[in-house]
Amino acid sequence: MDRECCWYRDVIEQADCPNISEGEEELLILKHQRLTEKCCDCPVFIESLARLHDSANPLATILSEVLSENCRQKNQIQSLVSFLDSKTLEIRFLHELGSILQSSVDLDEVLSVALTAITAGKGFGMNRAFLLLCDREEGVLKGYIGIGPRNMEEASQVWDEIIQNDMDLQTLAQNFRLNKLSSERAKFQDVLEQLTIPLTDKNHIVIKALDGKRPIMVEGAYQRTDVPSELSRLLGVETFLLLPLVSRNRCIGIIIADNCITHRSITEEDMRSLETFGFPVAFAIERASLYDKLHVELNRVTEAGRKLKEQQELIVRMENMALVGRITSSIAHSVRNPLMVIGGFARSMLKNSPVSDPKRSFIESIVAETRQLEGVLDEILNYSDSLYPTRDFWDVNQLIEGALRDTADIMKSLGYATGYTPGHAMLPVYIDFKQLSYCLRTVLQNDINGTGSDRSIAISSQSGENCVILRIEDHSRHTSQIELDHLLIPFSESRDLGTGLGLALCKTMLEKQGIPFVAQAGLIEGILYTITLPTCKEEQP
Amino acid sequence: MSRLLVVDDEANIRLLYAEELKDEGYEVVTAASSAEASEKLQGCTFDLAILDIKLKNESGIELLQRLVKERHDMPVILCSAFSCYKDDFSAWLADGYVVKSGDLTELKQEIARVLAKKALKARG
Repeated sequence: MDRECCWYRDVIEQADCPNISEGEEELLILKHQRLTEKCCDCPVFIESLARLHDSANPLATILSEVLSENCRQKNQIQSLVSFLDSKTLEIRFLHELGSILQSSVDLDEVLSVALTAITAGKGFGMNRAFLLLCDREEGVLKGYIGIGPRNMEEASQVWDEIIQNDMDLQTLAQNFRLNKLSSERAKFQDVLEQLTIPLTDKNHIVIKALDGKRPIMVEGAYQRTDVPSELSRLLGVETFLLLPLVSRNRCIGIIIADNCITHRSITEEDMRSLETFGFPVAFAIERASLYDKLHVELNRVTEAGRKLKEQQELIVRMENMALVGRITSSIAHSVRNPLMVIGGFARSMLKNSPVSDPKRSFIESIVAETRQLEGVLDEILNYSDSLYPTRDFWDVNQLIEGALRDTADIMKSLGYATGYTPGHAMLPVYIDFKQLSYCLRTVLQNDINGTGSDRSIAISSQSGENCVILRIEDHSRHTSQIELDHLLIPFSESRDLGTGLGLALCKTMLEKQGIPFVAQAGLIEGILYTITLPTCKEEQP
Repeated sequence: MSRLLVVDDEANIRLLYAEELKDEGYEVVTAASSAEASEKLQGCTFDLAILDIKLKNESGIELLQRLVKERHDMPVILCSAFSCYKDDFSAWLADGYVVKSGDLTELKQEIARVLAKKALKARG
């Protein structure tokens, strides 16, 4: 061996060894380590070894073999280290991915993370991916979302952007979710619509992958008989990967991934990595879907609870109403019958008593008081009726014509002329017919004294937005707006009870049905009443 | 002279109706219950029946339904303290409906109207 070579020296200088680079200065003094790591590859050492061979030294052959084996093992270790490094990176990536997926129950967020991970350079670096989800109710596997560029130009733009921004996976996914989720869906809408495969189509390559619960690498798609030509044409690539998403042994969907832009081959290694990645993604998608369903069910239960509460309140109200009904019914029988007998006999006596009878005024008082009490009784009974309206759809013309017919005789006897102008194409109105009919009769016959010379009441109807508007123009009765407003408040009328509750009762009844009732004095000659009747249930409070 | 059957469980009301309607020139027969009304209807003809709705045992509405079947030529006027029965379909079988009042004018008008209608119908 050449003694000029540095290999036998304990300590060397930096200039002595061409293989020791900056940062490896410690090897200058560590002879053993330097020998195993650097000298074997050193050309000076190899030259020295050759000279040893030339000198026919028997150790030269043994030494060569030992060195050769050492090199082989070194390379092997290097390769393993490199493999371990790549696996470490993959595990780190999967860990990051798992952390993000575990913390999310939002389906869109999960999908954004999953699809970003497949296509991002920091992830699996695939060019494009489609997610198809199983719809068990419809019995199909349906395209849900796609991600990736559609052409080289778009690809360059997107990848440049990613390189410039240097974002981590979570930021990339968030960015995708906020800015691109909808646009990517729209961009691949045509493809997604065609990616609907019946789950019963067991010969379809996608369903095979799904049922087999194992990924399938499809190569030479155009030539393969088990790949439908429409799928190959739709994807436009020869090679793609089918990655079923399996959660709790249930297939929830599949990912189709390819390199449609770069045409980089998909390795067995890629496939295995993606398979590992598929499990947390599938679990997260299922969990997010279940969470969505849970949310819907929770809303439904909350809504049901609210309705139940309303129903309970309604039942309590109805019980109260029933009690009111029983009380008023009892009043009707207990009070009206004796009242009728008293009033009836008083009238009978009055009829038969001579004008000169000094007791005649007493009898007249009895007749008047009983009449007034009957009026009060009527209004109380009507008020109790108004507490619980029963609404349905009714024809407006039928309502108005009925009210006019019912009041025709009395209006005629009082010298009033009434008329009705119906509107065109009016929808049925959602009202309590009986109460509305009562209100119209009351408005027509109300006891505001008629003073005008024009003793006419004109009713007209017209269609509005989700309503029919009734206008009742009473040209004969005159009052101020203040007095009119006063008449619309129950029991605030200063006059004796039984003579002024009618309009207030109308307003109360209508308000309980959510129907606006407006009475205006001074707008026209007389009083203008406007009643807005709803044409749909939604308008009800 | 038209014969009227008045059915009401209140004695004073029966008396009031009888007095007032006799004054109007009608022959009035009264009954306190549907059972008594059935007895009085046996073998007799009436031009009109005036029924209260709230009766003991059988209600006026049930009696009305029976009368429509058995005495379809005899008109019936329902006279009640309750205005709500006016909207009850079963009450629509009656020829008239009057809410009870000390002022019998409405009842008298209704009787006259129904009898006139019956007479017109009889004349064909």
